[in-house]
Amino acid sequence: MISALLILLVVLGGSAGDVFVTRGMKEIGEISTMNVRELARIFVRAITNRHFLTGVFFMAISYFSFLGALRLEDLSLVLPATSISFVITTVGARFFLKETISGIRWAGILLVCIGVALLSLPTQP
Amino acid sequence: MARDLLADCSTALSNRVYKDRGSMKTAVVLISAIVAQALGDVLLTKGMKAIEALEANDAASSSFWQVWHICLQALQSPTVWLGTLLLIVFFALFSAALSWADLSFVLPATAFGYVLNVAAGFYFLSEKVSNRRWAGALIITLGVLCVSRSGVSTSKEQREELASGIVE
Repeated sequence: MISALLILLVVLGGSAGDVFVTRGMKEIGEISTMNVRELARIFVRAITNRHFLTGVFFMAISYFSFLGALRLEDLSLVLPATSISFVITTVGARFFLKETISGIRWAGILLVCIGVALLSLPTQP
Repeated sequence: MARDLLADCSTALSNRVYKDRGSMKTAVVLISAIVAQALGDVLLTKGMKAIEALEANDAASSSFWQVWHICLQALQSPTVWLGTLLLIVFFALFSAALSWADLSFVLPATAFGYVLNVAAGFYFLSEKVSNRRWAGALIITLGVLCVSRSGVSTSKEQREELASGIVE
């Protein structure tokens, strides 16, 4: 029960983190400079951006839930379970970031999700 | 079949490159990000495993002191520092890509790192890779190919809208 809750936190925290970080970076605008001083300025804008920081906070929650889940369950259970986050994050990007997700992109994301699950399942049956 | 896939991949890539220069930038940044992450993971694993070997014959100490000891040792390990630095580089590049590309593009694209990990384990660490894991790597590759054909960003107006903060 607790491990299920922790895995849920890993997935939702990770997805929320990605969505917020994207939101923050889109607010900062496209990075198209190689100038070091300019990049330093962008860095300061990022770490003071509210959405970006919220994203990092959610990622930290996800990471510590992951560590917690690993104390209770095997990596071979936790890792495949988190592969669903590709789909959850995409749904988040669709609704919160208003991204248009074409058929081929959905197909690709589902394939990635299945592939990651296959990769991380335990080797011994 | 493999040759068809390769040809398909290269035409898709060149189409993209000629269509807009932005995707070239995306490709360079994301490939660097994936390599940094894979290297960072390997170094971090190596560094942390080295610590565990030192602590193994010290079973008498309580788990709190064990963790404390591991933390102190990790802070002294150059391998752990380098691995952490590479993961920070990964996150910086990942965030940079998100400043112009869709999240629903960047996230599945970085999943190619899993394939790199399997390949690196097979070639450099001579790990045994089961057929199922190879199948997983192949399916991820196909998925990343599909995603890479879907374009980097949804629309420019939307990006500008978000940049000026008038959404919602």
